[in-house]
Amino acid sequence: MDDPVRTLVAWCPDWPVVAMGRSLDQPVAVVASNRVVAASRAARMAGVARGQRRRAAQAACADLEVLSRDESIEARCFEPVLASLDDLTPRIEVVRPGTCAFAVRGPSRYFGGDAAVVEGVVQRMTEVVGSRTDVRVGVADGPFAAGLAARLADPVKLVEAGGVAGFLSPMSVTVLEHPELCDVLIRLGITTLGAFAELPASNVIGRFGSAGVEAHRLAAGLDPYPPEARSPGPDWSVSAEIDPPANRVDRVAFCARGLADELHGRLAAEGVACVRVAIEAETEHGEVLLRLWRHEGALSAAAVADRVRWQLDGWLNGSAVSRPSGGISRLALMSDEVIPATGRQLGFWGGETEADERAARVAARLQGQLGIDSVMVPELRGGREASQQVELVSAATVELRGRSIQPESNESAPWPGGLPVPSPARVPVDPVAAELLDGDGRPVIVSGRGAVSGRPARLAVGGRSAEVEAWAGPWPVDERWWDPGSHRRRARFQVLTDDGSAHLLSLEGGRWWITATWD
Amino acid sequence: MAPPGSETAALLDLVARQTTPLTLAHEQTLPVLPVLEGLLPGGALRRGSTVEIHGIGATSLALALAAKPSAAGSWTALVGVPSIGLMAAGEAGLSLNRLFVVRPPTPGSWSGVVASLVGSVDVIVVAGGRRAGNGDLRRLTARLRERGSVLIRVGDTPWISGSSKATSGNGADVRMRIVSSKWEGLGDGHGVLRRRCVEVRADGRGASARPRSAQLFLPGSNGAPEPVELASVAQLRVS
Repeated sequence: MDDPVRTLVAWCPDWPVVAMGRSLDQPVAVVASNRVVAASRAARMAGVARGQRRRAAQAACADLEVLSRDESIEARCFEPVLASLDDLTPRIEVVRPGTCAFAVRGPSRYFGGDAAVVEGVVQRMTEVVGSRTDVRVGVADGPFAAGLAARLADPVKLVEAGGVAGFLSPMSVTVLEHPELCDVLIRLGITTLGAFAELPASNVIGRFGSAGVEAHRLAAGLDPYPPEARSPGPDWSVSAEIDPPANRVDRVAFCARGLADELHGRLAAEGVACVRVAIEAETEHGEVLLRLWRHEGALSAAAVADRVRWQLDGWLNGSAVSRPSGGISRLALMSDEVIPATGRQLGFWGGETEADERAARVAARLQGQLGIDSVMVPELRGGREASQQVELVSAATVELRGRSIQPESNESAPWPGGLPVPSPARVPVDPVAAELLDGDGRPVIVSGRGAVSGRPARLAVGGRSAEVEAWAGPWPVDERWWDPGSHRRRARFQVLTDDGSAHLLSLEGGRWWITATWD
Repeated sequence: MAPPGSETAALLDLVARQTTPLTLAHEQTLPVLPVLEGLLPGGALRRGSTVEIHGIGATSLALALAAKPSAAGSWTALVGVPSIGLMAAGEAGLSLNRLFVVRPPTPGSWSGVVASLVGSVDVIVVAGGRRAGNGDLRRLTARLRERGSVLIRVGDTPWISGSSKATSGNGADVRMRIVSSKWEGLGDGHGVLRRRCVEVRADGRGASARPRSAQLFLPGSNGAPEPVELASVAQLRVS
């Protein structure tokens, strides 16, 4: 029972780009949480890579079109592709929009061999996908090896039964998609899956914990979870009648959310987590749509609810041929495959905590009440001014659990002319107009060569004025002189007034502004 | 030889120890930076309490108070202060990984927003908001005490609207005021702002009623608060 199931994985490369209706020959990148998740062929040629920051991608390819990710569109566009395979096998599981998998043993007996099934899959999918992208198919023992085979396929790659370990062993450990683990392994001198698989399992669990053991089993060509993992209980399914039948996705999705929470609660009480969920929807006329969704990690309640929404979106808003004839009257979720839940704990490499979980929940709640831009989190940026160094982005666009923001090399690079520490504690969103006067009451000006016209004596802001006690400057900045649109030239001063407040003043275009205050 | 009655005393002590709740209210605290310990009763922020900070440098002091809990894994929310310098917050010791900046839809609605955050976020910093109604504020303080978050309010506007008599029970638990501040490093046309020596006075209600004061560099030369004694010792060594 330790042998992995022989699996076929079909993969449409660059699906997020294709689903957006763009050609792969245009330079296009799809980003989520400010990172590139997919790029078209043309963009990759120009140096855009997955995982890059948006700015880095734009720097690599100047005429890049950046689109934000919409997984529901991806899932909706993928639904016809899946529907085309329905006559080959009824149990197709969706790994993610763009990639699907199914156990190939039954179909290949029926159609007379793996090669015949693969041919059928390629032909059917190519008919639907057309020239938008190509189709790659891999067959191997276990979904992990089959997925890798699909990535290497051109357009088909068959790994014969029993040959998985040999197929995997020369590959780099980076294909495990586990960056922290790979980092350690590479530093230990273990660069291939074969070398990793040779390590004794007991040492791996001692050093890397349960996540390491899963990776180790994958590397050895085994199923990631030990055999006893799969014994789905009889009633790990939940269902709800929808009355009156719903025609709109949002009504069903609302119902799905409750069901997902219920299922999750029931599984958690049993100490298991769900890695594959079957979503079944039935219409008032008795039509049934069933899809399996798989996830490498355990599926959370929110993730299940999302998948229900994507799937129904594809079904209800799809083409007229495949659209159901009536409203949806019943929805059921079945946890098809479960693993023991390892529980939430601080991982070997840090990670999420209870506090992060609560914070993420309250952020979502406030954004629901007050709007998406009401809760912001900081991101580091490069810059010379206090207002440029940190940018606020909506909390919805980043992963809050176990967050760690690190300046990228170009952001921590020295910015000549930047301000020394300590940084000002108040940086007004809009600079405040001010007037800096010399001893004779004339405005202080700075000549083109950086000479100050007189010693600053008074600072006047909005009708109030204070004596200048100490000052330093001017610190000139001439930024982006090559671009007339964003060229800025200014001189900055630090000014301390007799009421004890210290300001950063900026002289730009003949006017004085308070750009920051050390409060 | 033990004095008479010591056995009873020991027994009583044992009973007292065994019947104490697992954590006493005053044990539920959030740590603060060592330089600020002298300003707070017990040397820590009591969970569920409110702190009010006035004077020039109030923002820096609020960030310094939030720094230690944030570094220890708590989340911080800045409500209604889009102008706060986040680089300064990072230099003070706050973790920018666990920081929200929340914008209330109207200046008057901050108390509702804070009420939602209480319990999920350990330290909430509010500034510039309008006054809140007496009832709103009473509900908010009750919620704070129940859920154990700390509310820090920066600014000179009074805490609540209405007459002082009706609201006398609703002041902040700890009031801090920066009474003097002196910058170092900036001269007449030369130098750069290096650090600021401030004197903070704290008083308040209950355990914080006894006035306390402390001198510190806020911000210090690397942005984080520094104790004055150590700094002057270092200066002596240099000179």
